[in-house]
Amino acid sequence: MSESREGLRLANVSKRFGATRALSDAHLRIGPGEVHTLLGENGSGKSTLVKIIGGVHRPDDGEFTLDGATVQQRGPRRMNALGIAVVFQEVLTAASQSVLDNIWLGSDGLFVRKLSLSKQRRRAAETLGRLVDGVDLDAPAGQLSLSERQAVCIVRALVREPRILILDESTAALDVQTRDRLFAEMRRLTAEGVGILFISHRMDEVQEISDRVTVLRSGRTISSVDRADLRIPQLIADMTGTSGHFERSERDHALGDSTLRAQNVRLRAGAVPIDFELRGGEMVGLAGLEGQGQDAFLKRLSGLAAGAGLVTRVIGPDIDVRQGNGAKLGVAYLPRERRGESLFESMSIRENFALPTLRQDRRGPFLDAKRMRERFGEYVSALGIRLGTQDDPISSLSGGSQQKVLLARWLATDPKVLLLNDPTRGVDIMTKREIYATLDRLCADGMSVVMLSSEVEELVELVDRVLVFRDQEIFTEIPRERLTTEAIVAAYFGQSTERAA
Amino acid sequence: MSRFLGLLRRHAWAFALVLAIALLIANLMVSPNFLSPARLPATLATLAPFVLVGFASTPSILSGGVDVSVGPLATFINCLFVAVLLPSGIGDWYAAIPILLLTAAGIGAMTGVLVAVVRLHPVVASTGVLFVLIGLSITISKSPVSATPNWSDPLAQSFGWIPGALVTMGVVALGWFFLRRTAFVANLLATGESDVSAYGSGVNVTAVRILAYALGGLFAGIAGIALSALLQSSQSSLATTYALLGLAAAVLGGTALGGGKGGLLGTFFGALVIYLLQQLLTAAGVQPSLVQFAYGFALVVGVLVGATLLNSRRVRSRA
Repeated sequence: MSESREGLRLANVSKRFGATRALSDAHLRIGPGEVHTLLGENGSGKSTLVKIIGGVHRPDDGEFTLDGATVQQRGPRRMNALGIAVVFQEVLTAASQSVLDNIWLGSDGLFVRKLSLSKQRRRAAETLGRLVDGVDLDAPAGQLSLSERQAVCIVRALVREPRILILDESTAALDVQTRDRLFAEMRRLTAEGVGILFISHRMDEVQEISDRVTVLRSGRTISSVDRADLRIPQLIADMTGTSGHFERSERDHALGDSTLRAQNVRLRAGAVPIDFELRGGEMVGLAGLEGQGQDAFLKRLSGLAAGAGLVTRVIGPDIDVRQGNGAKLGVAYLPRERRGESLFESMSIRENFALPTLRQDRRGPFLDAKRMRERFGEYVSALGIRLGTQDDPISSLSGGSQQKVLLARWLATDPKVLLLNDPTRGVDIMTKREIYATLDRLCADGMSVVMLSSEVEELVELVDRVLVFRDQEIFTEIPRERLTTEAIVAAYFGQSTERAA
Repeated sequence: MSRFLGLLRRHAWAFALVLAIALLIANLMVSPNFLSPARLPATLATLAPFVLVGFASTPSILSGGVDVSVGPLATFINCLFVAVLLPSGIGDWYAAIPILLLTAAGIGAMTGVLVAVVRLHPVVASTGVLFVLIGLSITISKSPVSATPNWSDPLAQSFGWIPGALVTMGVVALGWFFLRRTAFVANLLATGESDVSAYGSGVNVTAVRILAYALGGLFAGIAGIALSALLQSSQSSLATTYALLGLAAAVLGGTALGGGKGGLLGTFFGALVIYLLQQLLTAAGVQPSLVQFAYGFALVVGVLVGATLLNSRRVRSRA
C-alpha cells in the first residue's frame, strides 16, 4: 500500500438500519484523477454508501481509508476538512439566503470567514460562472431555477477544492448545457488529480464520463470495470442479478370494463401528457427510480394530489376523482409510509382496521363492538393475519402483518380500484407471498389494482403490464409478454430493450 | 404589484415600518408634544425594554426555534440586580454588568442545550425555563424592592444629551451589525431555514443553535438592565407581561416563525408598533384590559400578513 496517493478506499463496509441491511459487503476505491461511477437500482445501497463517505452515517463495520489513513467518522464537517466534498442527491439550498451565502455555507467557521468577503465573492462568481451564466450572487437562492440551485450546490462543493468529490445524482436536476459544462469541469478536475464519484441514472452520461464503473446490488459490490471493458448489457445484468426469476402466477381471466381513466395528466409543466386506462381484473405496475413521477402519478390516481389533467372513475356514471374523495368513489389507496401516513400507532389492531368503516358497525348512535370484531375476524382469516388478540396494540405486529391489517382496512371499504404504493417494502418473504396471493385473488374477482413497486422481481411476477417512469413522464410501457427484470431496469436507466432476450 | 410584493418580501420589516409610522402620526394627533425633546429620553426609556426583549426573542426564532423565556429572563435579571446585587454591595457597574450579562447568556445557553442537545421541543424547553425564572424572581423579590441609588439611572435618563436608552439599544444593534459581518448570522439563517442543508454542508448546527439561544439570553440581560434603569425597583410581577411581547415584536417585524428569515431591524419596528399602540390606547383613555386585546389583535394581523402576503409564493428549496 502506498501511503500518499491511494485515494479513497472502502472495504467490507456494512451498515444496518434496524432490521434492514443497507450494505453488507461494499467495496469501493476512488483513485485520484478518475471519474468513478457507482451504479445500482433502488435500494442497492448507493445512497447509504454516499452518506457514509459524506460523514452522515457511520458504517457498522469495514475499512474506510483516505490515502492510506483510516478515516474517523465525525459528521460532514470533518469530512470536508479531509478534502471530501459531497453533493447530496437532494438539492440542499436555503431558499431565502443569498446565492453567495449558500455557496459558502458550511465552509466558514462559526464566526470567522475562511476568506474575506470580497475574495469569497470573487471565487464564488468565478466558480459559478464555469457552470451557469447570469446568476446574481445576491439573489435569494429560492428565486433560481432547479437547475441553477443544483449548480449552486455543486459550486458549494467545488469552492472547497476537494481531493475527492462525490456527485450523487447531481445531473438529474441539471439542464443539458449545465450538465455539459459540469462534465468539462469534471474533466478539468480529474486532470488535476481530483477523484470523483459519480452517480447517475442516465446510461448515456455514465458511458460518456466514466473512467471506471462499480455496480452495487443489495448492498454488495458486484463488479467493477474499467472504461475499456464497459458494456451496458453486462452492467444491467450485474444490477439485476442473474439469480433466476420467481414463478409467475398464471391469470387467464378476461378483463372487465374500464374502472379508472386518466386523461392528459401532466406531472410537470411541459411533460408529455399521460393517458391511462385501467380495466376490471387488471393489475398494472408502476416503476422507476426514486422520484421519477410514479409516486406522483399514483397519488393523482388516488385523488390525493391535484394537478393538470383529469382522472375519472368510470364505473357507473363518470365521476371526477378530485382531491380527497377517492375513498368514497370505490378507489382505495394504501400509502407508502405505514408509520405517519397510515397507522395510528397508539391504537389497537382492530381500531386500526375499523376506522374508515366504523359506519358499518353502527347500531343506533353506538358502535357494536361485537360486529366490528366479527367483521375484522373475517379478514384476519382471509388474509392470514398473525396476531395475538384483536385488542393488542398495532405496534405489536411485524411490518408485514401491519401491512395486511391496512390492506384489510381498505378492502373493507369495498373498493373497485386498489392503489398500492410499494406495499411490500420492509415485508418478509413469506408475508409477501401471501399478499401476492391475495392480490391475485382480488384481480380474479374483478378488482383493478395499480401497484407501485421498487422491487423489480415482484412486478415481473405479478402484474399484467408495467409503466416505467422517467423524468415525470412514462418512458415506456412493458406488456406482460416482454416483462423481465432486465427490461425494467434497462428502462429505469433510459435504455429500451426492443431486442428482448 | 408583483414588484411591490417582491419588495415587501425582500424587506419583511417594511410592513411594520408602515404600521409604526401610521401609529406615530396617530400618537402625535392625540398628544402633539409626544416627541418633544424634553420628553424624549423618558419616552425612549419606556420603549427600550420592549425593543430589547424583542431583540432577545429574535436569534432563537431565526435559528428555527423559539424562546418564550426571554421576557421573564429580563425581569429575573432586574430582580437579581435590584434585590440581590445592590443590597449585597456588588452593585457597582464593573461588577454588576459582567455578572448580570454572564448569568443571562448562561441561562439562554442552557435553554439552547435543552433544545439542540437534549432535543426538547423549543416551546417545551423554554416554557420550562420560563416557569423556573418566574419562580426564581418571586423567590428573590416577593414584593417590589426599591433600588438604592446606582449607576443604571442615566440609562433611563440621558448621558449629556444622549438619551440613555440609545445606549442599551445601541449596544445590541452595534453587536448585531458586527455579527452580520461575520459568518455567524449566515450560519444562523441557513440553520433556521433548512437545517438539513446546513448540516449536510458542514455547518455545526448544534453549536449555532446553542449560540443563538445564548445570544438571546445576552440581549435579555441587557433588557433586564434597561428595565432596572427605568423602574429603579425590582418587579417580579412584570415577568408575565413581557413573556410574549418579544415574540410578538419579532413576528410583527417580519421574522418568520419557521426560522431563517428576518432580523433585528424588523423586530425594532415591531416593538415600536406595540409600544406606540400601547401609548396611543393609553393616551386615548382606553381601559388597560383593551390594551391587551389590541396586542393580541396586532399579533394575529402580523402573523396573517406574514403568512399570506409575504410567504405565499415563496419558492420551496425542495423540488
